[in-house]
Amino acid sequence: MSNILNPLYIAVSWVIIMIHKLVSPIFSPDSGVSWALSIIGLVIIIRILLIPLFVKQIKSQRALTALQPHLKAIQSKHKDDRQKQSEEMMKLYKEHKTNPLASCFPILAQAPIFFALFTVLNGIGKKPPRAHGVLTIADVNNAAHATIFGAPISATFLGSTNGSVKIVTVFLIAFMSITTFTTQRQLMVKGMPKMDSSNNMMLQQQKIMLYAFPLIFAVSGVNFPIGVLIYWSTTNLWTWGQQFYVIKRNPTPGSPAYLELQAKRARKSGIELPVENQEESPQTPGSTLEIKGQRQQPVKKKRPKKK
Amino acid sequence: MRSALVSAIKLYQKWISPMFLARCKYYPSCSSYAATAISVHGFKGLAMSAWRLIRCNPWSHGGVDYVKSKNGSLISGSATT
Repeated sequence: MSNILNPLYIAVSWVIIMIHKLVSPIFSPDSGVSWALSIIGLVIIIRILLIPLFVKQIKSQRALTALQPHLKAIQSKHKDDRQKQSEEMMKLYKEHKTNPLASCFPILAQAPIFFALFTVLNGIGKKPPRAHGVLTIADVNNAAHATIFGAPISATFLGSTNGSVKIVTVFLIAFMSITTFTTQRQLMVKGMPKMDSSNNMMLQQQKIMLYAFPLIFAVSGVNFPIGVLIYWSTTNLWTWGQQFYVIKRNPTPGSPAYLELQAKRARKSGIELPVENQEESPQTPGSTLEIKGQRQQPVKKKRPKKK
Repeated sequence: MRSALVSAIKLYQKWISPMFLARCKYYPSCSSYAATAISVHGFKGLAMSAWRLIRCNPWSHGGVDYVKSKNGSLISGSATT
């Protein structure tokens, strides 16, 4: 196992050392801040590398708008057969060579890096410290003694009696939980189109998990070194920011955020639109269709410019 | 061994998977594909599941993809969710 992951240890430790060298003149090489920034830098690099995948996924999600009539038809045709419904939907995506689903890849791609970082930091925490990848014994000894707010970056909540460690870990775990919670909530409240009743079960399940997630973090986080918690907090914050940007600037058609953006654009251009009628206006189907057509246009025109 | 793996997958489906949005590009999802493949084909099924997971990536368009039973027919009924 360690042999397979060796290239990753080298990559992770190399990036950390490089950034550490970069920030050392500012914060002193022995400072925990330098090491913390190295980890944050690692996250930023990884997440920047993953942006193209994210953009690709958003694009194919938006392409779905064009398929909406087909999807509606499938849903009503196989109302009582979820399996048939899913089958037909997947077939449709494949036919049109677009698939709004993310696949596990973005998560699976990050898992080995996360694991490698965990090992590298754990090595620092060992007594005596163990060097992984391109880290030298001198680096590791330095990192082992580096503290941030009085807490060594390789210390864990459970493995230390140091009061500073307890405070810093608790703070980071709370931060991780809050960012996950708000990210999930933001998506559920603003980012998703209103679900029909068939999806209620799923929504309910997601609601439970909304609260379960922070709890799981709290339980598992006490075993993680501060450096790993920093990694996790940063990547969570990034996820939140990325999602915030998309929801504000390029929301999923049909979602509450989309309606808000439409209303805002309409206000700006001085056209008055009955926003609250967007979802349900059964009285005048003809006129709503027209309005909908008008509304989508500004988005479509702007899209090519952005990319 | 088979049943241990399958129950691990079921555990994942019940407790871990709902925390994330639906994300699999295929139907049935990779996890239910794996559960069926492993219970029908054993070790070979494990390899099939790994291959499915690799195929389910950002560059794939997904689709409908059932496990084939030993006589070559598609297994679509029993394995749901």
